[in-house]
Amino acid sequence: MKTVIARRLIALIPMLLGITFMATMLMHLAPGDFLDQVRMQRDADPEYIERLEREFGLDNPWYVQYFLWLKNVVPWDLRSDFGYSFHYKVDVWELLGQRLPATILLSVTSLAFAWVIAIPLGVLAAIYKDSIFDRISSILAYAALSIPEFFLALLALFFAARTGLFPLGGFTSTEFEFMSPVRRFFDVAHHLILPTIVVGIGSIASIMRIMRANFIDNIRSEYVTTARAKGVPEGIVMFRHVFRNAINPLITAAGFAFSSIVSGALMVEIVMNYPGIGHMIFHAILQQDQFVVLGALVMSSTMLILGNLLADIALAWNDPRIRYD
Amino acid sequence: MGIKHWAYRYQAGGIALLVLLGGCSAEIESVREEAPVPEDIERVARDPGRQGDIFTGTSAGTPATFNPLVAEDATSTEAIARLLDGLTRFDPVKEEVVPGLAKSWDVSEDSKTFTFHLRRGVRWSDGEPFTADDVVFTFKAIYDERYPNRKQMEFRAGGEPFEVEKIDDHTVRFTTAEIFAPFLLYIGTEILPRHKLIDAFADGTLMRQWTISTASRTPEQIVGTGPFRIRSFRPAQRMIYEPNPHYWRADREDARLPYVDFFIERFVQDQNASMVAFASGQSDHQGITPDQAGWIRRNAERHDYTVHDRGPSTSTSFIWFNQNPGTNENGTPFVEPHKLEWFTNQTFRQAVSYGIDRQGLIDGVIFGRGEPLWSSVSPANTQWYNPDVRTYPYDPEKALALLEEVGFRKENGRLYDEHGNRVTFSLITNEDNRLRANMATVFMENMKDLGIEVRLRLIDFSNFVNRISESFNYEAGLLGFTGGRDPHGGTSIYSSGGRLHVWHPNQPEPATEWEARIDELMQKQLRTLDEEERREYFNEVQSIMSEQLPLIYLITPNIHEGLRNRWRNIDPPDMGTLIWNLDEIWAEQRLLP
Repeated sequence: MKTVIARRLIALIPMLLGITFMATMLMHLAPGDFLDQVRMQRDADPEYIERLEREFGLDNPWYVQYFLWLKNVVPWDLRSDFGYSFHYKVDVWELLGQRLPATILLSVTSLAFAWVIAIPLGVLAAIYKDSIFDRISSILAYAALSIPEFFLALLALFFAARTGLFPLGGFTSTEFEFMSPVRRFFDVAHHLILPTIVVGIGSIASIMRIMRANFIDNIRSEYVTTARAKGVPEGIVMFRHVFRNAINPLITAAGFAFSSIVSGALMVEIVMNYPGIGHMIFHAILQQDQFVVLGALVMSSTMLILGNLLADIALAWNDPRIRYD
Repeated sequence: MGIKHWAYRYQAGGIALLVLLGGCSAEIESVREEAPVPEDIERVARDPGRQGDIFTGTSAGTPATFNPLVAEDATSTEAIARLLDGLTRFDPVKEEVVPGLAKSWDVSEDSKTFTFHLRRGVRWSDGEPFTADDVVFTFKAIYDERYPNRKQMEFRAGGEPFEVEKIDDHTVRFTTAEIFAPFLLYIGTEILPRHKLIDAFADGTLMRQWTISTASRTPEQIVGTGPFRIRSFRPAQRMIYEPNPHYWRADREDARLPYVDFFIERFVQDQNASMVAFASGQSDHQGITPDQAGWIRRNAERHDYTVHDRGPSTSTSFIWFNQNPGTNENGTPFVEPHKLEWFTNQTFRQAVSYGIDRQGLIDGVIFGRGEPLWSSVSPANTQWYNPDVRTYPYDPEKALALLEEVGFRKENGRLYDEHGNRVTFSLITNEDNRLRANMATVFMENMKDLGIEVRLRLIDFSNFVNRISESFNYEAGLLGFTGGRDPHGGTSIYSSGGRLHVWHPNQPEPATEWEARIDELMQKQLRTLDEEERREYFNEVQSIMSEQLPLIYLITPNIHEGLRNRWRNIDPPDMGTLIWNLDEIWAEQRLLP
């Protein structure tokens, strides 16, 4: 197991090098740079623009810019510097870190919401295959799958405006600063309900369909027949045997979901005014704030690898047949 | 753009939104810190109001920084202006420079030396005294080579920095190498607190101070002399300002300004979301684009606000032809020679201008809420606008007659020049600006009537900037500038050596006589402090621009501003926002007890 983890982590290094190198090259291929906005201002002095170019290192060719960045990133003196945002003049990790908690919170709650709803539904749909319950749940699942996320977000806002039961987007109330810690907790929870449902509902359908299909596959397998023949009670057959076999693909899927934590909910963030990281990264790309873009890439690729690693570990724990030696 | 459609739907359906503030603001408790009022404070002339209550605004962007040396975008500079003040202020109603942290100043005989007398007893928002050392420190920071910032180049007369000298704790003397007309306006730049920033200045990290992280973690570190200080800042969510207890202005009854207990700014994703928030009663003030003014006005009664038509905006829009005679590195001319001949022909440009239906543009693009534009300065800038420039009312026949005068002829609906070349050109503008794209489409139709074929190319902003300022690979462009107040701010457009002299930038020597004359006038207006004299020179600049038409001005949209009716002491200026005197306004009806 330890070697597997070590191997995966070592594999991260060439991958990150490749991704960041490509990204720098692509950003250079796109016309213009971060200073275009400044260039179009009538009172910006040409000498000032030149100085900024030098300050940001934009006067170097792109590959030189890349290696300068790399030189600072590699922790020679045990300090790794990923550069700072041109726009905010703030260290890249600090900037990403400011927005990350809200995004992670939403990803975790929506993932939990999706699993808690989808897995029982999938299991029930498989056990009572072709029943009216199975039919209705698959119709609903396809319907949920086909509604675009941003539209769902608009519906949610409409619902909130109509009923007044939920806040109209955002992460906290205006009065948040004046609240006690307990009230603050409930305030955030209140704001989280609708975005959680909106982000979660799309994955309910797919998780449920995967769960149902796997479950049905496993119900038909020989070990189930054997177990039933031995007289094992139906509940134990289903939950101790079938369920544990059927959930494997979902564990892998959860590993991938981990990587989309960073980028997952851009549309929902925009529509529901949720202060997450997606919107900031989107703007950084548009503005060509390059170190922020590189930092975000490093973060999401690392999360993808880590997510897969965690999923593999969880698989091994769930399924004793899987061994990494 | 989803939110906008939704907004439209939702208001059309007439569904009332929860009034967020009305609902639960009882939780907000005001604890206003009071400090003794020093003698040298400014007592405002307006009728005294009542302290208290909240002013709520929404903003379509989050400030990027609170460091005035770093700020480039409007959202950041607006936020900084609430926190920091300068030696002078500009009163947009009187249209003149008025005292700020300096209560008075003397100007020497030769108009080059200014002695400022600072107010005594003024303190920073953390209670430290404000002195001449802060002023000297600020200018030292601005001019420091290690910290490239915009003011470093701007604050120069004849290429030389202003000399700053401390006479005593409350007197500072500035000397400019040459007479510098906008000196008093520019000297209103934010003064920085020496006691807070001297260490960062010394160790080279000044530009990394007062970031959004500082504001969200330790807002008390950002100290100023402005009306407000930061109570809390949450990126992408909201910012809460509270009164600066040491602010240097009070009313006649010695009540400290600002009157409001809180100024809350909520950050939303785009301007549409911000307008929806206002139209549903969630904010007190909102700038409104002309295309949205109609439906927002219909909600006015329900939420007790008024949509004010504030007249023409300061932004301009224009079409211009590439008159750059140069060649690229392969020796190919930037513009084909026969086209360059048209473009450099004044009569051709005038004919094009007569051929543009500006009223049609206003009606079609901004629902009739705008004004035609004839000068490089918008009529909103009443201080500097020249109302007597030449105008080109829509007259396609006159346009054709002018074209025929200089050898063009129209056959079968197509226009040819004297050598038999079909008159056609491509027009570029940036795709992300919807207003510009729409204007370009109307322009294209107008030119068709003259027999001119215009090919419209919408390109990405960076590509656009590159073409007009580096590769010069284009024929005509459509662009706009947001107007500054002082003529000096437009130097890079007017002077032949300027970077934004877009039709032919960075000329070593003026290419034409009229460009040479404009260069001369721009120098002259800069070298006198007499506003009347400056106006004379600048009026001539505008006249030449309208006669020569290097930039063919189109239209300017009317600004609309929404404001709740509960606010008092509102004094609308000709140019700029209704709430320019945020520190002086107070609420008649209260949201807070």
